Amino acid sequence: MFQLKWIWENLKGYRARYIFALTLSVVCNILILATPVLSALIVDNYITGKDALYNIENKKDVLLLLILGLIAFTAVKSGLQYICNMSYERSSQGAIFSLRTKLFRIVENQDLTFYDEYRTGDLMTRLTGDLDMIRHMLAFVFRGLIESITLLMASVVYFFIVDWKMAICILSLTPLIFLISLRLKRVVAPVHMKLREKLAAMNTAAQENISGNRVVKAFAREQYEINKFDSINKEYSAANKAASLKWLTYSPYLEGIAVSLSAVMLLSGGIFLITKSITMGEYIAISGLIWAVSNPMRSLGMYVNDTQRFMASAMKIMEIFYKKPTIKDPENAYAPDEIKGDIEFKNVSFGYSGNKVLKNISFKIKAGETVAIMGETGSGKTTLINLIPRFYDVLDGEVLVDGVNVTEYSLKSLRKNISMATQDVLLYSDTIDGNIAYGNSSMPEEEVYKCAELAGVSEFVDKMPEGYDTIIGERGVGLSGGQKQRISLARAIAVKPKILILDDTTSAVDLEMEKHIQDSLKNLDFLCTKIIIAQRISSTKDADKIIILDDGKIAEMGTHSELLKNKGYYYDVFMLQNEGFERSEV
Amino acid sequence: MARNKYNIDEVLETPFDIRHFKRSFKYIKRHAKKMIVALILSVFAAVSGLLGPIITQHALDKTIPEGDMWGLLFLVLLLVITIVISVVFSNIRARIMTVVGQDIIFEIRNDLFKHLQELPFEYYDNRPHGKILIRVVNYVNSVSDMLSNGIVNIVLELMNMFFIMVFMFFVNVTLSFVVLAGVPIFAAVMMFIKRRQRRAWQQVSNKSSNLNAYLQESITGTRIAQVFTREEENAEIFDGLSNAYRGAWMKAVKYSNMVAPAVDNVSMLVRAAIYAVGLLIISPSGVTLGTIAAMTSYAASFWQPIINLSNIFNNFINNIAYLERIFETLDEPVTIHDKEGAYELPEIKGDISFENVTFSYEEGKTVLENVSFDVKSGESIALVGPTGAGKSTIVSLLSRFYNLKDGRITIDGHSISDVTLHSLRSQMGIMLQDSFIFSGTIFDNVRYGRLDAEEDEIKAACKTVCADEFIEHMPNGYMTEVNERGSMLSGGQKQLISFARTLLSDPKILILDEATSSIDAKTERLLQEGLFRLMKGRTSFIIAHRLSTIKNCDRIMFVDNKGIVECGTHNDLIKLKGEYYKLYTSQHEEISV
Repeated sequence: MFQLKWIWENLKGYRARYIFALTLSVVCNILILATPVLSALIVDNYITGKDALYNIENKKDVLLLLILGLIAFTAVKSGLQYICNMSYERSSQGAIFSLRTKLFRIVENQDLTFYDEYRTGDLMTRLTGDLDMIRHMLAFVFRGLIESITLLMASVVYFFIVDWKMAICILSLTPLIFLISLRLKRVVAPVHMKLREKLAAMNTAAQENISGNRVVKAFAREQYEINKFDSINKEYSAANKAASLKWLTYSPYLEGIAVSLSAVMLLSGGIFLITKSITMGEYIAISGLIWAVSNPMRSLGMYVNDTQRFMASAMKIMEIFYKKPTIKDPENAYAPDEIKGDIEFKNVSFGYSGNKVLKNISFKIKAGETVAIMGETGSGKTTLINLIPRFYDVLDGEVLVDGVNVTEYSLKSLRKNISMATQDVLLYSDTIDGNIAYGNSSMPEEEVYKCAELAGVSEFVDKMPEGYDTIIGERGVGLSGGQKQRISLARAIAVKPKILILDDTTSAVDLEMEKHIQDSLKNLDFLCTKIIIAQRISSTKDADKIIILDDGKIAEMGTHSELLKNKGYYYDVFMLQNEGFERSEV
Repeated sequence: MARNKYNIDEVLETPFDIRHFKRSFKYIKRHAKKMIVALILSVFAAVSGLLGPIITQHALDKTIPEGDMWGLLFLVLLLVITIVISVVFSNIRARIMTVVGQDIIFEIRNDLFKHLQELPFEYYDNRPHGKILIRVVNYVNSVSDMLSNGIVNIVLELMNMFFIMVFMFFVNVTLSFVVLAGVPIFAAVMMFIKRRQRRAWQQVSNKSSNLNAYLQESITGTRIAQVFTREEENAEIFDGLSNAYRGAWMKAVKYSNMVAPAVDNVSMLVRAAIYAVGLLIISPSGVTLGTIAAMTSYAASFWQPIINLSNIFNNFINNIAYLERIFETLDEPVTIHDKEGAYELPEIKGDISFENVTFSYEEGKTVLENVSFDVKSGESIALVGPTGAGKSTIVSLLSRFYNLKDGRITIDGHSISDVTLHSLRSQMGIMLQDSFIFSGTIFDNVRYGRLDAEEDEIKAACKTVCADEFIEHMPNGYMTEVNERGSMLSGGQKQLISFARTLLSDPKILILDEATSSIDAKTERLLQEGLFRLMKGRTSFIIAHRLSTIKNCDRIMFVDNKGIVECGTHNDLIKLKGEYYKLYTSQHEEISV
């Protein structure tokens, strides 16, 4: 019942309302029981009773009052019912709201290892479809259970008051209902678990197909995708059917037993009537309320089934809910407002899944310096820079910023001072203005234009009819690779970081533009340490220091001219990129 | 259409009309037989259920007063039989309808997915992907019950209502009209609620769509959020969207929850009216008391189907908000499709010609104007020019990702708009700027290029693009699981994998669009050898900024000013001293320090 405790925890702020709703449910159900009593007054006194004729002739005003009373009673009852329903809605929506927003924060603060583990579509299912199951539990299942129990208890008490022998006979079938429900609970649990898994799988498949639509079209793989989705869709459909059919194998027994109460009633009641141990009046009193026992019994199974469905979803959500990121603020975190921008790597080693990606890296960068990093694909360049804002923790050694180990900083104050243009450019479906001002949404427009100018964004945005208010597609679709990179660069500059990291940011930018960008970077109006990963000598040659990585180790380090003299990797690349010029007679 | 983002509600362009029901009918029709069987079973179950009270009545009126124990046992047995029949039939009906409901949404979802595969890039470019996703998954799930059980129940309840009405009129015509008088009142109340309720549920669908869009983007972009320490601000945006959703929901249920009390009150009014009319106005002489008793009980039974129908109706209104979104997507025009009589493009030799091609993405913003050129089979063409000049557009047009505004593109003399899209695209190898990695193994990602490729072919392709080494280095080699956002692969590695994927497809025309931008110079050098081998005998287009890649192409086209401004070999263009010369010398200056 850990799930129930968890849900109670998350009902905080809405508990009072929820309990109010539950209480009101009970009241409403009692009122429902009272309705027949009122109409019985009319029927007995004016229709079937022996004084009926006399009453109609002489007590018309009472009848009128009774009729009006009935109408008023119904109005009050349905009004209460409405308030009750809305209270359920409000409190369950409240709980879901607080859970959803909490989950969002949890997901958002996870480190990269979490994102390697969970797929986008899966996470989305947990925050939408699975959450809806929780709402269903709060707004329907609990409520149904409470209402059923009230009804059952009230009528059982009533039956015992009327005649205990009859009551026992009617309740004789109850243990059977409980036994079947218990068994049902056991068998449907795995089925629901599987259903939720299949739903997540389908969501993932659809999500990836939509995100990868360009590749699908480029390879004319539509049919393949359709077949793939078809089979996942089938599996989901089958899981859905399996869950329903499993429930339908048990429900006829529960339903049958519940309905059979009327047969039990007739048999036992008939015998008691024949043997004269109860009166007709008692029989009618009990039979009139037999539904109040059979209905709850009938629904019990349904609630058990729904509860299991809730449990399956709750498990999936709780798995995320209790996830703790491995990279988090230390106690008494160091949280300076501003940093200077000195960086030092001391014997840093790093790796994942048993693969050593960085080995014994040591270097120092003084605040304000520009450092270029080069090396072969997969040599560890991106990994290295990811250690500075602490996206990963080192295996060995230390990464220091202003002489303080990055693990001692509060993540926020560390990252606030660092900005990055990542290799995989991720833009948001928002305006260009909104994308550039992402790091500081209160940035004045002129600032945005200035950064856009520096990063060469204005060159193409000025040609757009809506300019900076142009909405760009998710991941910047619709823009060319170079344009996306430029926006991402403008976004990074805009926050005026103390450490600016550019991971292959100009690879798809044409040469003229690259020159413009380099000039901009040289003349930024704020002091910052720059780390630039690049493939082209033209991007790196002016750096204060060039680091060449080879298979996770520093192979060369020095200035452009030093490295040229060194005749190593850097020299080779230089020659490769210059080769053409020597051959052609310019 | 302007692009949509997470906080903009999508305007529903088609108002709801009866066509939606007709279209749903298309899905329902296939299961008509099963549904009719289910209906018949339901009728039997209902009739069998009705026998219960009659048996009980008989027992109480005759058997028990006579003290007939055996008779009582017999009647109880009879009662049990009717119960069993009713339960069994209901159960079979439920089983049938479960299958029908699931099959219907399976079919809708498959149709939706198929349709999405045919929609052009613009569709995906113009809205957040989360908004497309929610339609395929969540919305379709919502309509299952409505299109299966909902339909059967409507028929059932209508039948029920009809029979009770007939009985009612037999008993007393005047009082029957009293009962029926409640219907228009109820209808008026429902109309009042319905209009608001429908709009409210449309809002719910809008808000949930917005929420989903933001959620998807946030999950994909967590890293950026962390880089820019935007977590708190994003969370607040998400709070806002969640709150908007909650608000829309509360508003919608405010109306939905009115239906039940409305039914309650109106039915009570009717009952009160029967008492009043029967007892006070017609007076006891006109109506027997038994009639009044019967009428009140019929009135109650008459209102039960109405209550049920209004619940179903309620449900319909909620779900139609989703259904119309699904149909809206299905109605999204497929702008690029095989035209009538399209034929299979025979194996491509590689002669390409652009004839007066004019193209624009948006009305009034021409990207290419009157572009004409010919490419001979086996030629390699480099496209250079400023970003946004239209280089990518030229190659996109060749694969017919967009329709031309004017002019014609032919391959081996076949106009590309006359041949089937599949035969065209499957012969082209296009490597895009974004190297998308599917979640799965590296092996599967490469195999995407040619599904029937053998393992050694896949490995050979990886070797050619120099990806073999790093793949073998990974924990599980080719079987290493990677995913879309995977931090396992660097940008260059992703490009190499998608390069291998293209190569494996053995394309007749090769298009490389900034395919090697993230690959380091040395690897690229190695790659070029493989690449030139690959280009031999194939027509190829290369978009790149590195002149070393460009120079070796047979011809270089400089794209600018909505067309091709210079075209020729490297040496030709250098001699021309035009745009290419400027570009070339600028790089030269840069490097020779």
